[in-house]
Amino acid sequence: MSLYKKAFPVVARYVSKMGGSFDEAKDIFQDALVIYYEKSVSEAIVLHANEQAYLLGIAKHLWAKKFKENLHQVSIEAYDDEPKFMEDEGLEPSSIKVLHYLETAGQKCMDLLKAFYYDKLPVNAIARLFGYSGEHSASVQKYKCLEKVRETIKEKSLAYEDFIE
Amino acid sequence: MNEIKQIDDHLFNLATVEETLLFEAMLILDPGLPNKVLWQKKVHSLVHQYSRKKLKAEIESVHRKLFDEPAHRSFSQKILNLFY
Repeated sequence: MSLYKKAFPVVARYVSKMGGSFDEAKDIFQDALVIYYEKSVSEAIVLHANEQAYLLGIAKHLWAKKFKENLHQVSIEAYDDEPKFMEDEGLEPSSIKVLHYLETAGQKCMDLLKAFYYDKLPVNAIARLFGYSGEHSASVQKYKCLEKVRETIKEKSLAYEDFIE
Repeated sequence: MNEIKQIDDHLFNLATVEETLLFEAMLILDPGLPNKVLWQKKVHSLVHQYSRKKLKAEIESVHRKLFDEPAHRSFSQKILNLFY
């Protein structure tokens, strides 16, 4: 909340100066926060730098991109520095359905996988957070979850594809 | 479970040279393996989408607090004034 309070005014002022609306400022700022978070956990940026300035930089970039592409939906995918293999994964209808299924039925595993792969938390912190006896059992659980989710999405994707076709 | 880990190391380039060579050989020898790799990629893609969605929801809830709660009135007013 404090980062939001500190940095949103800076971005909002910029977007308003550029003739944008409140909603546009909000969207751009929130996307910038996501990018900032993802960059900071992947250690691609040095955190001691001025946060507001960094967020404003991303926001300016997103704003420019929005007009260059003449699209009103700015994609934050361009900022992805996830491994290359994720690029070809669009949000096809079956993916959305599988995601929705996982959000309801597979939350526990998904949250664990999020902690490992997205938040990139240290294993001991994950063990504590999820109540595992130690790093080893947290890691074992990670692989179990990977396997479980893999089987689930395989099954569900095939089922949904059949349904669509 | 070992296989899951091997696939993961392969996807995230965490394997040593020897492990990579071994894995590439396994990909040829085990006809089911390439498919498992493919589905595991999909897991990571979905974990990424799931996580991003959750983060966005958290951010949105902070936004709501700042713009809906009277305690933050002066802050939200200051921002809104920029646009009207």
